[in-house]
Amino acid sequence: MQSSAPPLRIFYLEDNPLIVFHIEAMVEDLGHVFVGSASSFADLVGNTQALEVDGVLVDIDLADGRTGPQAAAWLHERGIPSIFVTGQEAIANEYGHVALGTIGKPVALSDLARKLELFRNPILR
Amino acid sequence: MTGHRSLDWVLAMAPYRRDADYLETLLSQYSVPVRRGTGTQDLEALLDDRPGVLIATHEALNPEVLEIVRGHLVAQPDWSEMPIVILLDRLAPHSRIRTELAQAWPRSRQLYYQRPVATLELISGVQSGLLARQRQRDVRDHIEREIELRHELNHRVKNILASISSIFEMTRRRAVSVDQLAQDFSSRLAALADVHAAVYEANGEPIELARVADLTFEPYRTGGQHNLVSRGPAVFLLPQAATTLALCLHELATNALKYGALSDGNGRIELDWTVSPEDSLLTIRWVESGGPPVSAPSRSGYGTRYIRAALQNLFGTAPSILFHPEGLRCVVEGPVSRVSAKHPNA
Repeated sequence: MQSSAPPLRIFYLEDNPLIVFHIEAMVEDLGHVFVGSASSFADLVGNTQALEVDGVLVDIDLADGRTGPQAAAWLHERGIPSIFVTGQEAIANEYGHVALGTIGKPVALSDLARKLELFRNPILR
Repeated sequence: MTGHRSLDWVLAMAPYRRDADYLETLLSQYSVPVRRGTGTQDLEALLDDRPGVLIATHEALNPEVLEIVRGHLVAQPDWSEMPIVILLDRLAPHSRIRTELAQAWPRSRQLYYQRPVATLELISGVQSGLLARQRQRDVRDHIEREIELRHELNHRVKNILASISSIFEMTRRRAVSVDQLAQDFSSRLAALADVHAAVYEANGEPIELARVADLTFEPYRTGGQHNLVSRGPAVFLLPQAATTLALCLHELATNALKYGALSDGNGRIELDWTVSPEDSLLTIRWVESGGPPVSAPSRSGYGTRYIRAALQNLFGTAPSILFHPEGLRCVVEGPVSRVSAKHPNA
C-alpha cells in the first residue's frame, strides 16, 4: 500500500491468539513485518524482540490483568510508540498520553493501515 | 472515603450546650459510633464519609445546615434513603417544622422526638435507622455486583465477537469455494463452542488437558477405533489456555483427516504430554504415523498459521511443526505455570 516507504516492524501485545494471528496476517498484507507477540506485560518486559520495532500494538486487558496501559507507559519511557487495540475505547482514552491512538475491535484493515502510519509520523496524530 | 465503616455511624448535629456530649455518651453505651458536626465547614466532609443516621437538634436547624444536608440528600445514589432523627423542644412549632423539613430534605426517613426524650425510645429510633441502612447497603452491594457482571459480560461478548470475526476472515483467505468456506468456518465455530461449553460446565474450575484432548478426538472416534491415543499426567488448564489448545488440536485433527493419518484409515495419531519434575516444563507432542506420505505445503494455511501464532503466544516459545515423511509432528514446550492454574503435585 505504502509502496515507497520502507516496511514497519510491528510487535503485538494481546492474549487472544485468534486475534493475534488475524492481525499478523493483516500487518503482513499491508507490507509490514510482524515481529512477534506476547500475552502479558511480564512477557513484553522479558522479550528483547519487542524493543527492536517501530511500534507496538497494545490490548488493554492482558493475561496478567489490566496491564495494557502500564505496558504502553513502559514502552513510552523507552521511546517506543504504541497504539491501543481494544473494544474498550473509553479506558484507552484515559491513557491517551502514553499511546499514539486507538484501533477499535474488530479491527478493520483500512483503520489498521492508517493508524500504523502513525508509527512513521507520530505528528499526524 | 467509603471504607467498610460507611453507613454504620451516627452524625450528631447538636450545637446547644452539652447536647452533643450527652448524645455521644448515650450512643456509645450501645456501641454506636458517633461523630459530631460542629460547624458548617466540616459538615460537608462528614456527609461525604457516609453517615448511617443523622441526628439534628432544634438548634442545629439553620438555613445553611438545611442547604448542605439537602445537597447531600439530593446527590444520594438510588439505593440510599437517609434516616434522620430530629429532636424538637416541647414549645417548638412542630407541624410547621415537619412541613418545612419534608420539603427541604427529600429522600430521607424523618423521625421526630419531643425533648426530653426517653433514652430507650431514642436508642431504638437510631437502631432502626441503622438497620434500614444495613439493608440499603446490601442492595448497594447487589447493584454494584450486577454492574460489574454486566461489564464483564460485555467485555467477554466483544472478545468472542472479535474471535469469530478473526476466524471468519482468516478462513475466507484460503477458501476456494463458498461451500468450503461455510464448512471450514462452521467446524471451527463448533470447536470454539465445544470448548466454551466445557469451560462453562467446569464452573470456574480449571479443565484437565485430557478432557480437552477427548473433546477434540470425540468426533473421530467412531466404531471403537484405537488409532487415536492420548496420554499424559493431570494438567489443569486455565480457561484461555484450554480454549487455545482445543483450537490447535482441532486444526491438527482436521488436517489429519484431510491429508494425514486420518485420511485413509490406516494411520495413527499419538498425542502425549509430560511435565518434567525438575523444572516443571510441559511438553506436548502430536505425532502422526502410518498415513499417506507427507510433504510440506507450498504455503502455510490457516491451521499452521494459527498453531504457530497461538502456541507462541501461549507458551512464549514457538512450536516446532515438522512435515516428516512418515507423518506430521508438532511439538511445543513451555513452563506449565503459563497454562495451568495449579500444579498437579501441589
